[in-house]
Amino acid sequence: MISKESVNYSLRNLKNRKFRSFLTIFSIFAGIVTIFIFISFGAGLYKYVDEVAGSSSADKVLVMSKGGFGGLDTSFELTEDNLKDFAGTPGIYVSTGVYFRSVEIGFNDQTIYSFLIGFDPQKPLIMEMSNIGISKGRMLSSGDGRDILLGYNYQIKDRIFSKPIDLNNNIEINGEEFRVIGFLEEVGNPQDDSQVYIADDAMKEFYGDENLPYNWIIASADTSNMDQVVKNAEKSLRKSRGLEEGKEDFFVQSFTELMEGYSTALNVIVAFIILIALISILVSSINTANTMITSVLERVKEIGIIKSIGGKNSEVFKIFLFESSFLGFVAGVFGVVVGWAVSALGGEILNQLGYGFLSPYFPLELFIGCILFAVLTGAVSGVIPAINATKINPVEALRYE
Amino acid sequence: MKKRGEEIIRLEGATKYYHMGEVIVKAVDGIDISINKGDFVAVMGPSGSGKSTAMNLIGSLDMATKGHIFLDKEDISLLEESDLAQVRGKHIGFIFQQFNLIPTLTVKENIMLPMTLQNLDADEREERVQDLMKKMELQEREDHYPSQISGGQQQRVAIARSIANDPEVVLADEPTGNLDTKTGERVMDFLNKLNKEGKTIVMVTHDPDLAKKYADVVYWLVDGKVKKITRKKR
Repeated sequence: MISKESVNYSLRNLKNRKFRSFLTIFSIFAGIVTIFIFISFGAGLYKYVDEVAGSSSADKVLVMSKGGFGGLDTSFELTEDNLKDFAGTPGIYVSTGVYFRSVEIGFNDQTIYSFLIGFDPQKPLIMEMSNIGISKGRMLSSGDGRDILLGYNYQIKDRIFSKPIDLNNNIEINGEEFRVIGFLEEVGNPQDDSQVYIADDAMKEFYGDENLPYNWIIASADTSNMDQVVKNAEKSLRKSRGLEEGKEDFFVQSFTELMEGYSTALNVIVAFIILIALISILVSSINTANTMITSVLERVKEIGIIKSIGGKNSEVFKIFLFESSFLGFVAGVFGVVVGWAVSALGGEILNQLGYGFLSPYFPLELFIGCILFAVLTGAVSGVIPAINATKINPVEALRYE
Repeated sequence: MKKRGEEIIRLEGATKYYHMGEVIVKAVDGIDISINKGDFVAVMGPSGSGKSTAMNLIGSLDMATKGHIFLDKEDISLLEESDLAQVRGKHIGFIFQQFNLIPTLTVKENIMLPMTLQNLDADEREERVQDLMKKMELQEREDHYPSQISGGQQQRVAIARSIANDPEVVLADEPTGNLDTKTGERVMDFLNKLNKEGKTIVMVTHDPDLAKKYADVVYWLVDGKVKKITRKKR
């Protein structure tokens, strides 16, 4: 252990070289702030993915178009027969078709474009899958006619329409009036939170087509044998649609697999960003090493004195290692405080803008980890200068001016 | 505790060579020195005679190229650097011409430093540092930094520091070299007092009057060799 007096001596040296200490601390600080911000947002995204992929979504299987972004291809059609064949696959428990169409939504002389999603209120698998419930009003039920459910953002002023929409307000969809009976919970991204939901019967009636084709199929399946169920479902659907293997225009995927895909992409992005932040830490550790080398050179004589009055090499080593670690510690503490403030503020701004899924998460380990990492950066940078200090010959050091 | 008069330090054929490029400089060339407990020894000689090198060897600050150095009959020329640091910390105190105090530590902290390095407990350190400051008449300068006190006071701090761990031997390298005559005399009186209390003092000086006035034994060095030894009868 380092003695209290040595700590005192080190701190006074750092204080005597205030500006240099400040610059060194600042360089580590900048790296720590960056890392803290990226990790807190990364952790927030992982948490979001975990929440979305909750227990109610683990058994879900999706059939989507191969083309289009995120399977949102309105030209992709699944027929009632396709659904029946798919539903007959062993291991598929409940299945339902989902419609979506791009529509014009009007309210209070303003119009926007969004998706109208039709589903069977008896089988609300789409809600279970994304783990969202009703935040206000009630759920759709069969025979609701012109009643609709709105995404979360419609009730917030200026998010979609300048005036917030309330329960029982009427809105226009493609020029026809519908009554709002409820709002969904917040998903956290502007696209999902601006969708409009309608009962499947009403959707068919609205489009005047009793055989309106589905765009997605959502099902719950046997989780103990998910891979095989997915393969079998693919086979059923291929047969039903008269397609050869390898030429499918659809894909069947379990929701868990889909989320794993997102997680993998997220891992790559987070790793890449952290790599960039680590480069900034590398630069600051070179800077710290430089500071410490200068500090050793300036104190050659003092090192000689300490050695001449009985200071062992290990004591000299500890003094300089402590100094560089302490620089790292201060940078770490300020770094997490500022990083936390910036992330929290950034998260709040993004939330206001409707990007609630981009909200930072601050586990205690993040604070402790970042501070420890800063201390480690300082310590590692100080090792070589500290070794140099121990190698100083006391006789030559005492002669040094 | 050794009795006054017993040998405490012995240099046997101690040699120190330095390489300066291609040239080998024989700073100290096979010297024999014997110092008894309680002696006041002066090492004299012209510039470049090797007196400071000899003192560094006596004080285990430097390692001999050849020969042996015994402290209390232990051959310290065989020790590693970390063990030598222990030897210095416990058995030897240094006083330098340039005072060599740590500028960022106060008077009190400078005096305390050798005790800290020997891991003495806080109460004992505090008690000793108070005694030493009283002895060296520094109580009122306790919280001053070296730059805030006079040269004579700085040298008294250095003396206090040199005896902080109660070493048997105090080595002083031109202790009055940076002081005016009057202040120098006062510093010498303190050293003399320490010698009277039983400390062995080894002083490097080029001032024959100082050597004559205070030393029991004077080693005259020329070109790294002992040329003459003069002893004063007590």
